[in-house]
Amino acid sequence: MPQPTQRDTLVVEQARILAHDAFDGAQYILRVQAPLQAARARPGQFVHLRVAPQLPLRRPLSIMRTSARAGWLEFLYKAVGEGTRLLARRPVGDTLDMLGPVGKPFQIRQPRPVLIGGGVGMPPMIFLAESMRRGPQQPLVILGSEVPFPFQARPSQIIIPGIPSAVIGAMPLLEDWGIASRLASLQAYPGCFQGYVTQLVQHWLDALTPEQRQEVGLYACGPEPMLQAVVRLAADYQLPVQVSLEEYMACATGGCAGCAVPVHHAAGVSMQRVCVDGPVFDGYTIYPEMACNTDSISSEYS
Amino acid sequence: MSDPRLALNFCGLAFASPLVLLSGCVGFGEEYTRVQGFSNRDCGAVCLKGTTGTARLGNRPHRVYETSQGMLNAIGLQNPGVDYVIQQILPTLDFSETRFIANVSGSTLEEYHEVTRKFDDSPIDAIEINISCPNVREGGVAFGNDPAMSARVVAACRNATDKPLITKLSPNQTDIADNARRCLEAGSDAFAVINTLMGMAIDIESRRPHIGNNQGGLSGPAIKPIALLKCHQVYQVTKNHQIPIIGQGGICTAEDALEFLLAGASAIGIGTALFYDPLVLPGINQGILDYCERHHIDHFSQLIGQLQHY
Ligand SMILES: Cc1cc2nc3c(=O)[nH]c(=O)nc-3n(C[C@H](O)[C@H](O)[C@H](O)COP(=O)(O)O)c2cc1C
Ligand code: FES
Repeated sequence: MPQPTQRDTLVVEQARILAHDAFDGAQYILRVQAPLQAARARPGQFVHLRVAPQLPLRRPLSIMRTSARAGWLEFLYKAVGEGTRLLARRPVGDTLDMLGPVGKPFQIRQPRPVLIGGGVGMPPMIFLAESMRRGPQQPLVILGSEVPFPFQARPSQIIIPGIPSAVIGAMPLLEDWGIASRLASLQAYPGCFQGYVTQLVQHWLDALTPEQRQEVGLYACGPEPMLQAVVRLAADYQLPVQVSLEEYMACATGGCAGCAVPVHHAAGVSMQRVCVDGPVFDGYTIYPEMACNTDSISSEYS
Repeated sequence: MSDPRLALNFCGLAFASPLVLLSGCVGFGEEYTRVQGFSNRDCGAVCLKGTTGTARLGNRPHRVYETSQGMLNAIGLQNPGVDYVIQQILPTLDFSETRFIANVSGSTLEEYHEVTRKFDDSPIDAIEINISCPNVREGGVAFGNDPAMSARVVAACRNATDKPLITKLSPNQTDIADNARRCLEAGSDAFAVINTLMGMAIDIESRRPHIGNNQGGLSGPAIKPIALLKCHQVYQVTKNHQIPIIGQGGICTAEDALEFLLAGASAIGIGTALFYDPLVLPGINQGILDYCERHHIDHFSQLIGQLQHY
């Protein structure tokens, strides 16, 4: 007898737009009513939604927050392409055809998780942080952006050893949850660290004892150069690292292999689907070149 | 969905509905069962992803890109190889729900023969020969655009199996009807018309193609008028031979499906439309039934090829 094959992990809902607010840098926060997906969603997962009738192929959008009780999900996106620009025009009260929640969530395995989100990579980190609100872990959230943050940074009441004392800007929502956060940008935003997210994390790591450092794990979502730098940092400090990837998608159900990326293992390379095998992967399997010792590489070629 | 008015005998196989899920759109058959409300019972058959003699990694990202009323793809036949498919995947498929059709590809005649032979010795219901994949360097469309070569591939596969053999024709050729005639003579039991059209999309900022393979296959509503005409042209060849056609290319609605039936298709392929709406199948089945009712037709098959020319 074959195993029952029907899996039913994804649902389609007509999600009504409850709120849709614009922020600097073409950023938008969207809240929709979709109770089934709100109840099931886990940090790292995303939805696949039809942004407008004239673009029938759906677009993936990572989930930033949910309320299982109230039945809503919230997203942060930047209007960069045709799809997100059309989405930005959808008013409150409209409905969006939404499939989800898609993908394998993050797996928190360390007591000191560092959550690193860059730009539109921030949402899954906020979702992940919220899931640890009353948990045993001590998460630290580091957010980076080159356009003004889509919230008013607030001076933090939480002291974080190792972080330069002038770097006090925190995300209010996280602060309210009692979760430590700091902000980084190459722009000179007041209270923010002027530099890369990875440099800020490095300050913090250097202030830990070796025992404390063994309890750290890195979790990241953001642009590719940031993810590469995070994996390099993880390699330098010998820390586990999970990264969440983005890729163009068609089906988001595992059917088309359109979203497959190379994943490197000891046994060789395989192509894995970002939608159902990911979007969260072990960072070392995605950017193995970042884990190499650069000194030995350069000496090899000199 | 099991309504006797939609049941179809396709080359001796019992299809519960004329709808066929297309190769490359539903992985190896069960991926869409992740979606609540989707069921393989709503279609007559499911075509598995293109399968080759040995495993292939496929093309680099990006592999898919939306264009006006359609999309480009260049997956590059990523698959784990025929032995893995037969040993590891076929046993996990629920054959009580629908028929499963293998989709065979290769770089050489020998590879097509060998993969077909292995599927012949498996529980698979039928075999579709893909001589029209535009996304690989060797084989695929290079065979499918040459009628003599197409016929040789069909003959090689015919030699390897008694299961129903479906030849999937390329629209990227001058005379699809001539190609169909040759493949029919070489022993094809059925046709799938059409595979994707070759296309391209360019990112004007980076001045690079959107697709990692530079070019890709175009599918979706944009190709429907072309697919419909090609289907009708192949029907002129097959209609006196009891050779069914799986019409495909941009079908999204019951109205689209009815057009293909009238043009000569016996079965209706659904690919890109599933990406748009994973729950599209019941509505298409119902729409065909509603049309039959409205036109006092007992069975959908009475519509096949009923196009009235001017
Ligand atoms: C992502 C994708 C992958 C495909 N892979 C295959 C394949 O492996 N073998 C094949 O014969 N056709 C393949 N096709 C072609 C489809 O089976 C179908 O013939 C074509 O997409 C036209 O139908 P549609 O417009 O309904 O999608 C693929 C199409 C898409 C969109
Ligand atoms: S988008 Fe189709 S397999 Fe991931």
